[in-house]
Amino acid sequence: MSARWHPSTIALAAVTMVVAVLLYSPLFVPILSSFFVVSHGQVDWSRPSLSAYVTLSGNREILAALRTTLVVGLCTVVLSVVTGTLLALYHHGRRSGRALLQFIVFLPFLMPPVISGLALLIFFREAGIERSLLTVVIGHTVFVLAIVYRTVLTRLQSMSRTLVEASYDLGASRWQTFWRVVLPNLASAMAGGAILAFALSFDETMITILVTGTQTTLPVRLWAMMRLGFSPDINALVALILMFTVLMCVLAAHFLVPRRSADTA
Amino acid sequence: MSAAGSMQLAERCRALSVTALAFALPVLLILVPLAIFLVYSFFSVDHGEIRHELSLGNYVRFFTDPVFLPVFRNTLVLCVSVAVICILLAYPAACFLTTLKGRWRYALLMLLMVPLLMSYVIKIYAIRSILGLNGFLNQALVWAGILEEPSPLFVFNMNAILLTLTLLLIPFAILPIFLSLERIPQNLISASEDLGASRLQTFLRITLPLSLPGVATAASFVFVLAIGDFLTPQMVGGVNGFTFGRVLYSQFGTAYNWPFGAALSVMLALVVIVAILLGERFGRNRGASA
Repeated sequence: MSARWHPSTIALAAVTMVVAVLLYSPLFVPILSSFFVVSHGQVDWSRPSLSAYVTLSGNREILAALRTTLVVGLCTVVLSVVTGTLLALYHHGRRSGRALLQFIVFLPFLMPPVISGLALLIFFREAGIERSLLTVVIGHTVFVLAIVYRTVLTRLQSMSRTLVEASYDLGASRWQTFWRVVLPNLASAMAGGAILAFALSFDETMITILVTGTQTTLPVRLWAMMRLGFSPDINALVALILMFTVLMCVLAAHFLVPRRSADTA
Repeated sequence: MSAAGSMQLAERCRALSVTALAFALPVLLILVPLAIFLVYSFFSVDHGEIRHELSLGNYVRFFTDPVFLPVFRNTLVLCVSVAVICILLAYPAACFLTTLKGRWRYALLMLLMVPLLMSYVIKIYAIRSILGLNGFLNQALVWAGILEEPSPLFVFNMNAILLTLTLLLIPFAILPIFLSLERIPQNLISASEDLGASRLQTFLRITLPLSLPGVATAASFVFVLAIGDFLTPQMVGGVNGFTFGRVLYSQFGTAYNWPFGAALSVMLALVVIVAILLGERFGRNRGASA
């Protein structure tokens, strides 16, 4: 294969390299720095150390924000997977108004987050709901709902109709068919949707910053800290989050990519 | 007869209540807030109190005040530039991906997508430190002899916003372009080569025209994401890099004028809708799959 590489392909490869470097440099600079001593805002490349990780483990503020983010993420996942799956089933059941429903569900995903966030902010104020973690969870759910909905609906539409018919023919009731045939077939799509929802919620900043109360998630806490400049332990956090993210990617790919496509490659 | 009729009625009631149930949450949490938001844009603020009276005042202010229209225009230019630069970088990368075979193709695609999932705030921070006066970019340029001393050219101005948004949004341009390139039937390329076209001719007359829908989609993605971002300009823009998103956000903070902020959001929404419709119009693949 490499013997056939034309000069133009080599030029394309070079541009791709540049793009990869551009994309990864903002990730690698903090990760690399996390293994060295930082003094007076300058990284001392001659002194490798793990002190950043030790400091991080004692940073209560960051750890509390991390825990809050995880709780918000899990609540968002539960809410969005349940709602998204129900809405996908509704759509698939050829019920009335499904095009309109799909449009509404997609609105917060298509519109800039600042608009969804501000709309919710005003809504909560008019409804007299205090800003808290609950409002953050609602904001995140509204934002990620479209993803879960779409993932589950795609699976539903690719599911063979004969499966359900066979189940009815064998005398199963609607509920039995749903629990024993439909749901198991949706499980991996729901898991994939859940991981995507969690990843989006984990990093959601713009809506969160608008609807959050006093207790807040990691990205917003980092945002507030960034104005003053980060302490070195943030670099350690970046490294840990990157590892976590890569793990999530692998998991999501595992659930969402059909097994057989690996062989056709 | 009547029993069957009431059965039918019960069935319809059930269907109706299921529909109502399905719509309840999306309408309550998505449509209603957006509607209230729209109505808010016609309110006004008087001595820190929101006056619930409808007027066009906010829109008149937007179009007549000498501050807002120039910022709006500059932001549009900025976001179009971001889209153009992203596409110029993403197109060759997407082309390269399609020259790879099987697993490698998707592995590299994945590699180029992973940064999307990385913490957004941390990326902005890292980019700012790279662009800064003591940053990596300045050090490299001084070391290479291009600059005599570190330049403040790359941070806290419009350039910084342009560079940062570009870095953040490239993956959104790669994906749609890659998908449209991948969809081009290989036999078209072979036919063109068989008929004696050079690689350049084949590219200009077959590949490029057929990949334009992907380019349009990429442009609309990047533009919409860039124009909706208010945190990046806030962080790397400093006092010189004032964008529409920042003006909008400040209405809900320091300026405290929610109705005016809502009106600005409506303008933003209009621009976004136009961009999405344009992307949709030109992004549709005309019969390439046939």
